[in-house]
Amino acid sequence: MVDVNILLDALVYSNMLALLSLSLTLTIMTLKVANFAHGDLAIVGVYGAYTLMVVMGVATYLTLPVAFLFGGVYALLCYVLIYSPMRRRGASFVMLMIASMAIDIATRSLIQIYADLMKFHLKVYSRAFIFNDVMLNILGVEVRGIVVFSTLSVAVLLSLLYILLMKTKFGIAMRAAIENPPLAEVLGINVERVYAISWFLAGGFAGVAGFFLPFRIPTSPDLGFIILLPIFAASILGGINSLPGAVIGGYVVGISEILGTYLLSQPPINMSTAYRPAIPFAILILTLLLLPRGIASIWSRGD
Amino acid sequence: MINIFLLLVDIGTMYGIFLILASSMELEYGELGIPNFGKVMFFAAGAFTVGAIAVRIGTWLAGITWEGEFKTKSILYSTMVSRYFASHPLQAIAVFLLTLAIAAVFGAILGIVASYPAIRLREDYLAITLIAAGELFRIFGRNYDPLIGGTMGVGVPDVLAWLPPGTKEAGYILLSLSFAAATWLMLYRLSTSPFGRTLRAIRDEELAASTLGKDIVKYRMKVLALGSAMAAVAGVIYAYYMGSVLADDFNPLKTFLVVLMVVLGGSGNPFGTLVGVAVYIFLDRTLAILKHYIVLPFDINYAAMLLFGIILLLVLMYRPEGIVPERPLLTVKAKFCKGDGEKPERRLCK
Repeated sequence: MVDVNILLDALVYSNMLALLSLSLTLTIMTLKVANFAHGDLAIVGVYGAYTLMVVMGVATYLTLPVAFLFGGVYALLCYVLIYSPMRRRGASFVMLMIASMAIDIATRSLIQIYADLMKFHLKVYSRAFIFNDVMLNILGVEVRGIVVFSTLSVAVLLSLLYILLMKTKFGIAMRAAIENPPLAEVLGINVERVYAISWFLAGGFAGVAGFFLPFRIPTSPDLGFIILLPIFAASILGGINSLPGAVIGGYVVGISEILGTYLLSQPPINMSTAYRPAIPFAILILTLLLLPRGIASIWSRGD
Repeated sequence: MINIFLLLVDIGTMYGIFLILASSMELEYGELGIPNFGKVMFFAAGAFTVGAIAVRIGTWLAGITWEGEFKTKSILYSTMVSRYFASHPLQAIAVFLLTLAIAAVFGAILGIVASYPAIRLREDYLAITLIAAGELFRIFGRNYDPLIGGTMGVGVPDVLAWLPPGTKEAGYILLSLSFAAATWLMLYRLSTSPFGRTLRAIRDEELAASTLGKDIVKYRMKVLALGSAMAAVAGVIYAYYMGSVLADDFNPLKTFLVVLMVVLGGSGNPFGTLVGVAVYIFLDRTLAILKHYIVLPFDINYAAMLLFGIILLLVLMYRPEGIVPERPLLTVKAKFCKGDGEKPERRLCK
C-alpha cells in the first residue's frame, strides 16, 4: 500500500513540474527554441528567495514573489541580451539550441560562484540547503504547508495566465504574435515586446517552481540540470505547443516518477533509486514512439 | 613548481584525445548538421569498455587468480598486471588492440542505435533524448559495481609499462597524437570527398538532396556509426592514459566542451577543428596554471566554466562561422564538354 505522504510528495513534485513544463512550453511557443537553461531559472529563483531569507530574515513563504521576480528577470535578460539579437541575425534553430546549452553552463557556474560567495560572506549553508516548513491545521488534519501552498500557487498562477491569455487585449496580442508573427506585426502588435513579456512570465513561473524545491530535497546549483529531463518529458508529453497539455504532462510525469520510483524500489524488484531518471526517460521515449504530437493531439486536430 | 615536461605531455595527450572527439563532432554536426548532444555517452562507451575488460583479461593472461570483490580489488590487480606487462610487451599490445577493437565496434553499434531517433526526431527532441541516455549510461556505470567499480572507479593496467623508464609519457603522447592524426586525416578526406559533399547537401537542403537520389537515412546512420566509433576510440586512449575510469568523469560538461571547440574553431571546416581544440586546451591549461597564483573567494573552476560559456555565446552571436570559416568545396575545375558522341560528357577540357 502506498503511503499518504508519498502521494502528497508526488502532488508537490507534480505541481512544480507542471509550472516548469508550462513555462518551458511558453518559451518554446514564442521563440521556437528548446531552452536547455530552463531548469536553471528555477534555481536562480530559489537562490534569490533564500538570500532574502538569510539577509533580511523574511519568513519563508513571504519570499515567494521574490523567487518569481528573480526567475522572471533572469529569463528576460537571457531573451533580450542573447536570444533576441541572435534571432535577428538569422541564427538557426540548432544555433539557438547550442546557445541555450551555453547559457545553461554559464548560469550554473554563476550560481556556483554565487553559492561560494554566499558561504564566504554570509557564513550560511549555500549548497544542499532546505527550507523549514510550517504545519497547517485544516479541518483537524495536520498538513505540511508546502502541499497547500504549492497547489494554491499553481491554481492561482494558472487562473491568472488563463485570464491574461483569454480575456485581456494583451493576451489576444500575445496569442496572435505566437500564431503568426509577421501578420501580428502588420496589425501594430509589438511582437518583440510581447515575446519579452512572455519570457518574463515563463521565468517567473519557473522561479516559483524552484521555490518549492528546498521543501522536498536539498537544493544545490546543479539541480536545475537534473530536473531538466522530467521537464522536457512533461512538455513533450503535453505536445510541446500546448499550454494545457504541458500542465497535464507535468502531473503525469511527476506522479509516475514519484510513485514509479517508490514501487520499483520496493521488493521484489529492489531497484536502486539512483535509476529514477529512467522513468521520465521511458515516458519521453514512449511518447515519441506512440504519440509524437503529445496529449494535445487527442483534443486538437493538427494543422 | 610545475614540471614542464609533464605539462607538455598532458597538453599533447589531451590535445590528441579532444581532437578525436572534436573531429567526430565536426563530422556529425559540422558536415551533416546533427548536433550530437550525447557525445559523452560514446566517449564513455570506449572508456567503460577498457575499464571493464582490460584488467580482467590482464589477470587472466598473467595467470593471477582473482580474489575478493571487483570494486575493491581492481586497482591492486591493475598494478599487478602493469608489472606483468612491463616484461611482456606483446601481451600488452594485444590487450590494447583487443579493447580498442571491442570499444570501436561497441561505439559504432551505439551510434547506429542512436541514429534511429536521429533520423526521425526534431533536433531538440533528439538532443534531450541523447543527453538523458548519456546520463543514464553514467548512472548505470556508477551504480552497477561489477562493470567499472561503481563509485570507486576501476584501475586500468598500463599497456605501455614495457617502455624504458622516462619514455612512457612520450609513448602516450605518440599514441594519442598518432590516433588523432589518423582520425583527423580521415575526417579531412571524407570532408573533401563526394561523400562529404553529399553530407553538406543533406545538411543545407535535405529535400533537394533526397530528390537527387541520396538516401538520407543511410548517410545519417553511417555518419553516426563512424562518429561514435571515433568517440569510443578517444575514450579508450583516455582510459589508458588516466590509468583509471571513474563513471562520474563522463558528465554532460564534456559534450559541452566538444561543442565549444567545434563551434569556436569553425564548424564545417576540418581546419577549424584543429584550431578550436588548440584554443580550448590553451585556455584550459592557462587557467589551471593561474589557479596556483590567484586566490579567489570562490572556486576558479567555476570561473573557467563561466568563461567558456560566455565565449561560446559571444562566438554564436558575433562570429557564428567560428575562427576558421567554412570554405567553398574543393573540386576539380571541370567544364561540360561536347563528347565525341551525341551526349555531353563530363571531363576536363583543355
